[in-house]
Amino acid sequence: MLPRSQIVLLISLATAGIISAFSSRIDDYILDVVLGIGINIILAVSLNLINGFTGQFSLGHAGFMAVGAYAAGTLTTGPGKAWIAAAGVSPAVLFPFVLFAGGLAAAFVGLAVGAPSLRLKGDYLAIVTLGFGEIIKVILQNIESLGGSRGMVGIPSYTTFFWSFGAAAITIYAAWALVNSTLGRGFLAVADDEIAAEAMGLNTTRYKIIAFVTGAFFAGIAGGLYAHLKGYISPAGFDFNKSIEIVVMVILGGMGRHVGVVIAAVLLTVLSEKLRDFGDKRMIVYSALLILLMLTRPQGLFTWKSARKASPG
Amino acid sequence: MNSTSAQPGRLLHLDNVTIRFGGLTAVSSVSASLGENELTGLIGPNGAGKTTVFNMITGVYAPTEGAIHFENRPVTGLKPFAITERGIARTFQNIRLFPSLSVFDNVRVAFHLHVTQSTAHSLTRGRKFRAEERDIIDQTRALLDIFQLARVQDEPAKSLPYGDQRRLEIVRALATRPKLLLLDEPAAGMNPAEKVELMKLIRFIREKFRLSILLVEHDMKVVMGICERIHVLEYGRKIAEGTPAEIRQHPAVVAAYLGKEVNH
Repeated sequence: MLPRSQIVLLISLATAGIISAFSSRIDDYILDVVLGIGINIILAVSLNLINGFTGQFSLGHAGFMAVGAYAAGTLTTGPGKAWIAAAGVSPAVLFPFVLFAGGLAAAFVGLAVGAPSLRLKGDYLAIVTLGFGEIIKVILQNIESLGGSRGMVGIPSYTTFFWSFGAAAITIYAAWALVNSTLGRGFLAVADDEIAAEAMGLNTTRYKIIAFVTGAFFAGIAGGLYAHLKGYISPAGFDFNKSIEIVVMVILGGMGRHVGVVIAAVLLTVLSEKLRDFGDKRMIVYSALLILLMLTRPQGLFTWKSARKASPG
Repeated sequence: MNSTSAQPGRLLHLDNVTIRFGGLTAVSSVSASLGENELTGLIGPNGAGKTTVFNMITGVYAPTEGAIHFENRPVTGLKPFAITERGIARTFQNIRLFPSLSVFDNVRVAFHLHVTQSTAHSLTRGRKFRAEERDIIDQTRALLDIFQLARVQDEPAKSLPYGDQRRLEIVRALATRPKLLLLDEPAAGMNPAEKVELMKLIRFIREKFRLSILLVEHDMKVVMGICERIHVLEYGRKIAEGTPAEIRQHPAVVAAYLGKEVNH
């Protein structure tokens, strides 16, 4: 007998599959927005693991997304296209592996960025990840084989409803499962009081790195999905504003809350779609929203008193 | 008689431990030993270096000179989490719980040292993982029951009254299954009635869990009341060691606490 959480996951995957089969009936624009929601859920939930549950402050989530997007794009559109063709398998079949490869690339970069900076306590991580996001952007702008600042075009649209929401369901499950165990409570302990956590025998650096690398991995998956949804990626699309957008989702949803962050990701994706007419002024609305939120509900919009009950399933 | 278990000084041994912060020597060649199942006190006037000694044992500071052995293995300079893994748990002078976690989770997380399943198992959640989680949940509940904290187990730790927070911090430390428990001024901020309760609690823990306790304390009544051996520090040096009766009579201790008559 599977534990309840895994049954829920399987049902979610099956539902995503069924809806996906009928997705041709959905209006193209609506479908595009909806798939974007799935991707933003992945981004917000994975960042929540770092900023919410583990209490670190990463400002570079868009950077990891970029790594995943470019790694996956390279495989299906860039130089990797030839390898896949040589393997003789349809690239659409290989899509999950492409996404996984994008996630791994982001996780690897996450380890390289996180391992040295997570040893430090305090705000260093915010500064390092802020710099990292910019560096990734500049590096990508200067690699001509990946399109430089013009970006990568002609990426096949493999991202379906199933992949977007299937990956979102897996991300939510993974974040939930990771935290819901005796070891997983260590993440929350690190967020609450690092010195006390250390005194309880928790290797706090290890916990922070696990959260950071896992978060980066799923951001990479989201990047791969994004690339194969839009068909076009450019370094400018993964800038600081994108990172902030994800941070706002986490804060709005309530740091360290699963459901709240998912709701926030949905709401903010829709909101930013509605605000599209305002162009760049969108960020003003975002900032104003953030300030208002910090003044009125610093614990997040969707937090209610929740006694985290212990459950082995 | 079995010489390995009965010999005092087997559990923890400080050998000429010295620490300097820049030009200041906070603790100067202090040696001390703790036996198994012993209740030891560490006292001294303000600024004597008690907490610094405590911080060196728990790995917060690494001694500049000297060595610390636990169960005859060196622990000098290990990180705090590694020291806890070896079997030394502590509480803090100014209570450090995980404030937003429930009372239950505060204790549950401390059991992590005894988890055999890896982090990856949290994702697969197999039969073994669930059995172990259930086991830890039961143990946590049992421990909370012993200390009458079960009725508030779902409350966030920060909402508990002061006395319960102190108790919870001790329970959390016990969940790591230490061989040595270090209590940093547990009586701080307690009224006389609470202090009596605390003394009972400390004695109870020692009997029930068969461990050694090192108590850093300001309150003489508490220390004299429950400790079998007392070490006295003054200006970073050890000036006396002995039973409470001996310490009470010890001229250096009396001088340290009350001042000395000037001889002409």
